Amino acid sequence: MRFFYSFICFTLLSISIPVISAESADKPTLNVYTYDSFTSDWGPGPKVKKAFEEVCNCTLNYVALEDGVSLLSRLKLEGRHTKADIVLGLDTNLIANAEATGYFAPHEMALENSTLPEKWTNSHFIPYDFGYFAFVYDKDKLKNPPTSLKALIENPDSPKILIQDPRTSTPGLGLLLWVKKVYGDKAEEAWEKLAPRIVTVSKGWSEAYGLFLKDQAPLVLSYTTSPAYHMIAEKKNNFAAAKFSEGHYQQIEVAGMIAASKNKELAKKFLDFIQGETFQKIIPTTNWMYPAALDKTELPEAFNTLIDPEPALIFSSDEVNKNRKAWVSEWLNALAK
Amino acid sequence: MKAGILVALFVIAFITVPLFSLFFASGTLSGEQTASFSEIWNSSYIRRVLFFSLWQAFLSTLLSIAFAIVVARAFARYPSFPFRSFFLSLFGLPLIVPAVVAVIGIITVYGKSGWLPIGSNLYGLLGILLAHVFFNLPLAVRLFLPVWNQIPEQHWRIASQLKFNSIQQWKHIEWPALRESLPSVALLVFMLCLTSFAVVLTLGGGPKSTTLEVAIYQSLRFDFDPAQAVVLALLQLGLSILVAIIASRFNKIPDVEPDLNIKNPKHQSETGKLDKMLQITLIVFAILFVSSPLLAIFIDAARGPIISVLSERNLWKATAFSLLIGLSAATISLALSWFLLNASARASYQNKSNLSQWLLLSGSIIFVVPPLVIGTGLFILLADFINVFDWAILIVILINGLLGIPFIIRTLGPEIRQNTMKYQRLCDSLNLKGWQRFKHLDFPLLRKPLGLSAALVTVFTMGDLGIIALFGSPETATLPLLLYQRLGAYQIPQAAVTAAFLLIISLITFWLLEKIISGKTQKDM
Repeated sequence: MRFFYSFICFTLLSISIPVISAESADKPTLNVYTYDSFTSDWGPGPKVKKAFEEVCNCTLNYVALEDGVSLLSRLKLEGRHTKADIVLGLDTNLIANAEATGYFAPHEMALENSTLPEKWTNSHFIPYDFGYFAFVYDKDKLKNPPTSLKALIENPDSPKILIQDPRTSTPGLGLLLWVKKVYGDKAEEAWEKLAPRIVTVSKGWSEAYGLFLKDQAPLVLSYTTSPAYHMIAEKKNNFAAAKFSEGHYQQIEVAGMIAASKNKELAKKFLDFIQGETFQKIIPTTNWMYPAALDKTELPEAFNTLIDPEPALIFSSDEVNKNRKAWVSEWLNALAK
Repeated sequence: MKAGILVALFVIAFITVPLFSLFFASGTLSGEQTASFSEIWNSSYIRRVLFFSLWQAFLSTLLSIAFAIVVARAFARYPSFPFRSFFLSLFGLPLIVPAVVAVIGIITVYGKSGWLPIGSNLYGLLGILLAHVFFNLPLAVRLFLPVWNQIPEQHWRIASQLKFNSIQQWKHIEWPALRESLPSVALLVFMLCLTSFAVVLTLGGGPKSTTLEVAIYQSLRFDFDPAQAVVLALLQLGLSILVAIIASRFNKIPDVEPDLNIKNPKHQSETGKLDKMLQITLIVFAILFVSSPLLAIFIDAARGPIISVLSERNLWKATAFSLLIGLSAATISLALSWFLLNASARASYQNKSNLSQWLLLSGSIIFVVPPLVIGTGLFILLADFINVFDWAILIVILINGLLGIPFIIRTLGPEIRQNTMKYQRLCDSLNLKGWQRFKHLDFPLLRKPLGLSAALVTVFTMGDLGIIALFGSPETATLPLLLYQRLGAYQIPQAAVTAAFLLIISLITFWLLEKIISGKTQKDM
């Protein structure tokens, strides 16, 4: 029988582990769910944490997942029991879906400093940066990059590419929508044509970009702003984004506050902080995107050398929400053939 | 005996409640967007996933079995091969090598920048088949080898009188003997490949090479589409039960620890030099195939960023989690099995053979129900009430604990039964029971199988990338999950160091547990 008791004690002990580890903190902790490139050493995460903790008398704790779409899935998996106070890293393509979950609280902010190309009207999410998807290449290794999405897809000899999974990653989803915008009903056939030249579909942006830097393919799906990283951080001018004649799909990255958060005051303070100058000045040279509330003149010089993404392509958030599932299955089908 | 029945009921409930929640969910859940169950059912994606699951399992089985027969025959026909028993125990190693570790080894050997790059792309069917053959070829060799012992002496005598050549020996003597155990071994391998998760997750997983198990994982973790996960889980459950039913018709379950010595060697190698050379070549190739991925990991690790990997906090946290999960699962597994087996033996002693069989069966059901299916059921069941990620560790421990039971029934079961038959009357007359009986009678007699069971379940759980992938997150990463993340980020050198580390930790744990529990009290055996 003693064996049985020790077994019960043991079970109780293992149950208590998550409970104990969840408590024990004197300062309040703000849990921010975000993607892993945000929290990496070279990303905005460490600087943002330092700057915010100086003003908040709190601990900022990141939970890093692969990429933006994973954030939303994770939130749905955790349901109303989530420990997140803030989710940072969703984008315009996901916000209608995210809002429909009912987990997010309205931000009630005016957003007067917004420098987005369009007026921001969403009531639940705060934009923090924006950018345009593009295929990035090394000018020394690839002399004639494709000049349009159609050329990339339809020319069987065009270079191989690295892309991300639209089920986990916002750039992956962005490319799916980009192709949809250009091809409409013919998108599935377009993906079938492209399929043989996809080296890998990675879960997140970091992995695909890492593979690109290891020469696993000449083109990688990233942003028009990515070359700025190589110019500023590495002093290399040989990376460029391929300008596509159809235009580039636009992404606005957003953060939102969880309605059930126990630290609502703090969460609100963080959303304010995101719109503030300190955070916005960190973004261009760490997240390598255009800041959402900072005057263009404040951008580093290298940003002026980047390609002009116009015309910007975008679906409305509602439209994406209505069709995402069907379009993703279409993508799955095309690549599974 | 009451405790045993309670345990049996607990085990059954723990498996069936999640399954019921799946069935129940299939009535109420309809994906949060428009897809209904019939739509999911009819989607060509699901059909393609189903087809790929069966296709890769079929090919893996075919390759593993075909090569295993050839290699087993070579081992049987050349019993004087140097270090034969060492190599045959090496063939037992893939049983305890974690799947992710093997995958990293295979990438190091056959990958793009590996020793022996084959094919244009290892990620996909090619890699999956390689990994499955790596695991199942040695297993099947060990299962086939005893067949040669069952060939009657006089068959060889006749063969030698008739001066049969190698092909005739095969056709008239060896193949007829092998044919009997072929279906059960093939079905076992097929089942293992059909439910193999970690290999397909790491080497496949792209839309083109996704199996049911991986698709279940993706529909929960990628899309958050519980409806699709439920359909996939029910499909997987149906398939597994089907295979189990077919397998039960061939009542011969292969032994875990088969007898690998050849008893009548002298008749078999009388077919000339050329034949002997062929057998030697086959053996050498098989040994290279099995050992090279493991060697590659250590060689790559030795050249890899050892210091930087070992100084990461994540690694040590993951090690602690892995050990915690492994040891806890083994404790639970042993405790539950202990009550089950004792109750079953007692029932059989009291001539209640139905009850005895029923108790054993309850512990073995889990073998038929893929753990990921149970995990999905639990997920759906619990998500409304708790944050499942907070409970990841406990859920992983419990499911892996249950997974160990069928195995312990095989290793410990016969010995407990024997003990009961021998000593039950003595114990009754001395009124020796409970803890006292365990301490003075059972433990000293059963130390050896207890130690082996504890060590195997611990190491198996430590290296498992299944349930933990479903419930784990960066905060609760175990070593296999950490390895998966490194592999996902294509940090192969770091992954190799981590893999070697996991392998070493596993071997040390195995050795220590066996030493501590089994002790050195084998004098009376």
